[in-house]
Amino acid sequence: MYWIYLSKREVKMKILVCIKPVKKQEKREDGSDFYSEDIHMNRFDEYALEEALQIRETMGKTTVDALTLGPKYAEQVLKRGIGMGADRGIHLLKEDDPFRGPYYTAFLIAEYAKDKSYDLILSGVMSEDLMQGQVGPMLGEMLSMNCATAVITTRIFSNFSTVYVERELEGGVREKWELTLPALLTIQTGVNRPRYPALSQLLRASNQKMEVIKGERLGSPLARQVVTNTAVPDKQRRGSTLQGSSEEKAEALVKIFLEKGFL
Amino acid sequence: MKRTIYVIAEHDDGNISRITWELFAFAKELGDKKAFPIEFLILGDDINGMAKDIAGATGKKVNAVHLSSLNYYSSQLYISALEAFFLGLKPAFICIGHTARGTDFAPGLGVRLKAGNITAVRGFSDDEERLSFIRLIENGRRMAYVSPLTDTVILNIQPGVYKPIKYFPSSPGPIFKHHMELESESTCFKGIKPTGRSTRGLTEAEVMVAVGNGIGEGEGLDHIYRLADIFPKSAVAGSRIVCDRGLLAYGHQVGITGATVSPSLYIACGISGSSQHLAGMSDTEFIVAINTDADAPIMKVADVCVQEDMTEFIPMVIDVFTKSLSNDKEE
Repeated sequence: MYWIYLSKREVKMKILVCIKPVKKQEKREDGSDFYSEDIHMNRFDEYALEEALQIRETMGKTTVDALTLGPKYAEQVLKRGIGMGADRGIHLLKEDDPFRGPYYTAFLIAEYAKDKSYDLILSGVMSEDLMQGQVGPMLGEMLSMNCATAVITTRIFSNFSTVYVERELEGGVREKWELTLPALLTIQTGVNRPRYPALSQLLRASNQKMEVIKGERLGSPLARQVVTNTAVPDKQRRGSTLQGSSEEKAEALVKIFLEKGFL
Repeated sequence: MKRTIYVIAEHDDGNISRITWELFAFAKELGDKKAFPIEFLILGDDINGMAKDIAGATGKKVNAVHLSSLNYYSSQLYISALEAFFLGLKPAFICIGHTARGTDFAPGLGVRLKAGNITAVRGFSDDEERLSFIRLIENGRRMAYVSPLTDTVILNIQPGVYKPIKYFPSSPGPIFKHHMELESESTCFKGIKPTGRSTRGLTEAEVMVAVGNGIGEGEGLDHIYRLADIFPKSAVAGSRIVCDRGLLAYGHQVGITGATVSPSLYIACGISGSSQHLAGMSDTEFIVAINTDADAPIMKVADVCVQEDMTEFIPMVIDVFTKSLSNDKEE
């Protein structure tokens, strides 16, 4: 893969991909949970980035910017993004606050993006950790962009002014839409196969300077929600846990299947 | 001050979707707690019949918002029409389904109305005089209690949590008709594609062996099929991520965007149990979960939990069963 420089006149489409840094949840030996330093790209956003890169490969005359919001460690996802092939990385530097709320997050990204004339903004349909699915469509509304969520197919028209999408509904049924650009799409998994970063690209990424913007410069809207507590959910069924060695459990399980008439 | 709880009905092809009655159940619980009245909203171009059905089944006031341009759902039109409807009103809560449609327009509506948004709501708690809404995070491993800080709150309610209710009171609720003329200028609906995958094999099976991300690279897939083979009328299923990775065709997917199944036995192997997956199989009579993680959400809904590595455990189960067959033969 090689890096093409496009002059401003040649760029027909500017794409922004929003990527959330997600911490890996680990278990200590005593069984308690903790968040490790292992930061990775939200899996759903990885599909969004791959989709943007494939659009660039198909259409040409396109740039792909990767953006993330978070503390210093968040830059790891930008480096991977550039390793996968994004042209630029943008880091909105903000302290870690997993529960600041989707409105707040969308507001900060909108403040950055509002005067950058992006034609297409992509993000994953939700995040792995909070699973809200809100930042994308909120951002689209704030920037007055046409918006479609849970997109499973994208196709840019050759005039670069319309995008054809299919949205995935319950049961795998699909809606077909044509949206005028600028548009914001949230991308469902399975839309493509995200590529692994090439070594040469990762080297470029480690040397490339990201655009870093301090969160304070973006303002701080009033919070619209607060998380007062988290807890482990109760069991829903009166289930039993098999005990003993693996062999004993296998015996017990087959016994249950026989007793219940499944076998 | 009494403020209203609005329920936005979801409908498709002239039929009221089941989630609408689940939303009513949720709104009733919330309304009883806060002593707030409930009103329904239904939007579309041909809604009078459905508005009557809702009024008759709930006894509540139904606002039928008629738009000739809304012959099919459009997030743009829903947001604009609802913004116009709510102008001057101060709704307390707006209840919408946590469905592909509901989650498509609710966040943008929140921005327009300057309201708060909470999605995938499974319940609420009124402890310590602070109302908080309960939702799952971290792939279903934890619950979060979210308290709104705005006057108006838009809630997307998780399907399958509240039992749908219809009352049929002696007198139906009143129907108020509203007419709006709005055009969607820059988005164009092009039709529906029915799902191309055939999931008939899944919906007819009595026993399902389902595999999740615990399969790793997929070498253990043979054992999954062999396990399914020992049961009559069985099928192999998978979680979405396994299909995304290409290990199984999407016709095997169980979950919200795949098939919804209710077999007699569901053996979940290496499946963590995200809400999207559970929504597709929680009606199973008997659930066995095999997972190395004792805290995986699937373990909370299973009848039998086995904390083991599926790639090693499943061959053991097949061995035990095969031996018991040959023992029977000897006798």
